[in-house]
Amino acid sequence: MADVELKGVYYSFDGKPALEDVSFELDSPFFCAVMGPNGAGKTTLLKLMLGLLKPRRGSIRIFGYDVVRDSGAVRRLVGYVPQIINVDHHIPMTVEEVIAMGALARDLPPRFATREVRRKIKEVLELVELDDPSALFSELSGGQKQRVLIARALIGDPKLLLLDEPYSMLDFDMKCEISELLYRLHKERGVDILLVAHELSPCIHLEPIVILLNKRVYAIGRAGEVLTLENLRKAYPGLTEVPAGFILGEDHG
Amino acid sequence: MLELILLAYFSAIASGLLVGSISLPLILSRSTLFALTMTHSVLGGAILGVYLNVVFNLGVPAPIIAFITALLLSILVAELSEKIFSEDVAIALVVAIATTITVIFSYLVVQVSSTGLAQAWLYVAGSSAVSTMEDLQKILSALVVVAPLMHLITRELKYIAFDMDGAIAMGLNVRVYRYLFFGLSALATAILASSIGILATHILLAVPGALAIKLTRRMPYLVSYLSAIGLSLGGYAIAQLLNIPPSGGIGILSAITIIGMVVKRE
Repeated sequence: MADVELKGVYYSFDGKPALEDVSFELDSPFFCAVMGPNGAGKTTLLKLMLGLLKPRRGSIRIFGYDVVRDSGAVRRLVGYVPQIINVDHHIPMTVEEVIAMGALARDLPPRFATREVRRKIKEVLELVELDDPSALFSELSGGQKQRVLIARALIGDPKLLLLDEPYSMLDFDMKCEISELLYRLHKERGVDILLVAHELSPCIHLEPIVILLNKRVYAIGRAGEVLTLENLRKAYPGLTEVPAGFILGEDHG
Repeated sequence: MLELILLAYFSAIASGLLVGSISLPLILSRSTLFALTMTHSVLGGAILGVYLNVVFNLGVPAPIIAFITALLLSILVAELSEKIFSEDVAIALVVAIATTITVIFSYLVVQVSSTGLAQAWLYVAGSSAVSTMEDLQKILSALVVVAPLMHLITRELKYIAFDMDGAIAMGLNVRVYRYLFFGLSALATAILASSIGILATHILLAVPGALAIKLTRRMPYLVSYLSAIGLSLGGYAIAQLLNIPPSGGIGILSAITIIGMVVKRE
């Protein structure tokens, strides 16, 4: 059995299909990027893998656990990094509070940051190369916010990190820095990475496994094998040639 | 006379503590619109309670009916916003329902009782007299239940407001925390409405929490409690001075505080 296994997954919103017959398998260790246009169902795929949504048909198993039936076990093994625009920047939370959320939310109340939790916060802050736990999250730059959210996921010692559009709202250098950080976590700490993005340029040199998705999986494999004109035409209807910078995401502004 | 004045000021302090415990979580979890639903629902429920007691002589205190109504309408907001509408639309619809209950039963209560409207008005503007021992007991009872539980779940409410999907993915039971928050808010609002009136409750629910967020990062609860007590006590003093209901005094002081904050910022 593969470590991540999706079989015939179907999901719809108000009867409109968001994902149709999605099947793929990934074996640890993997550094995987799911690519597709806007509305391709990338975020829906992540939510299904986290058990936030239940597949209408099909099944998802992560490290042998069914994400619907064994959601508790799956959530202990999986860390989630949301899209940066989906967190509320107006909530006055310090970096320490945000990261503590990753450790405390898994415990039963009352939830207090113990000495052990504070030690782990320091440890993950070093991992993501940040140093001020008392800084307000809302006052950080986009790249620093992304690092804090990654640290929040890492504090639970996940085997798999699921990241929703980790490059959004960042300049190109910052995107590359985030890619390097993720790759380092993958290589040095053995964390499997599955990120969804509509541009792959920041991580393409790291040779990820690429899944080309637009409601269904059109191709899976190494970037060189997957990102062919033939495959891209299937996932991006109307595409006649691969424009320069296509993988950079320039077609999506 | 001195005893009555002291009682009024003790009630003001107790109201301030109750408000202080709920105002900060409301602001932190960005639920001020939800507070609007709560106050409208409590008012509708209280007037429904007055009507039911006048017509059927039920003997059930109006604040209990107000609490149940507010709880049910809060759950309706949660269900509508989870399944059908965005949160602001769900809140607008439920406020419309609560206001309809208020309008219909205010009209009906006038038809059947000459004192009904006066009783209903108490829930709008609050008592024009100083507080009674019963008021103080009700507020203290609510305080004992609401304040500790609110402190216990503030961190979780903050997490949920910050990133709901992330909170669920980490194993927080969002529904349990949301409904516990609704229950505690409904209880506090229903009790406050029966003593200081729904208008003053509405003002007080937002201002201390907002002040705390603006003024401090380290001890927001302390600032929330102190400003809520300050507004309640100051409001009672102004009301006494101007010979108006306490809710009027609290409203005047809150408005001055908000304008003062704006002027200072400018």
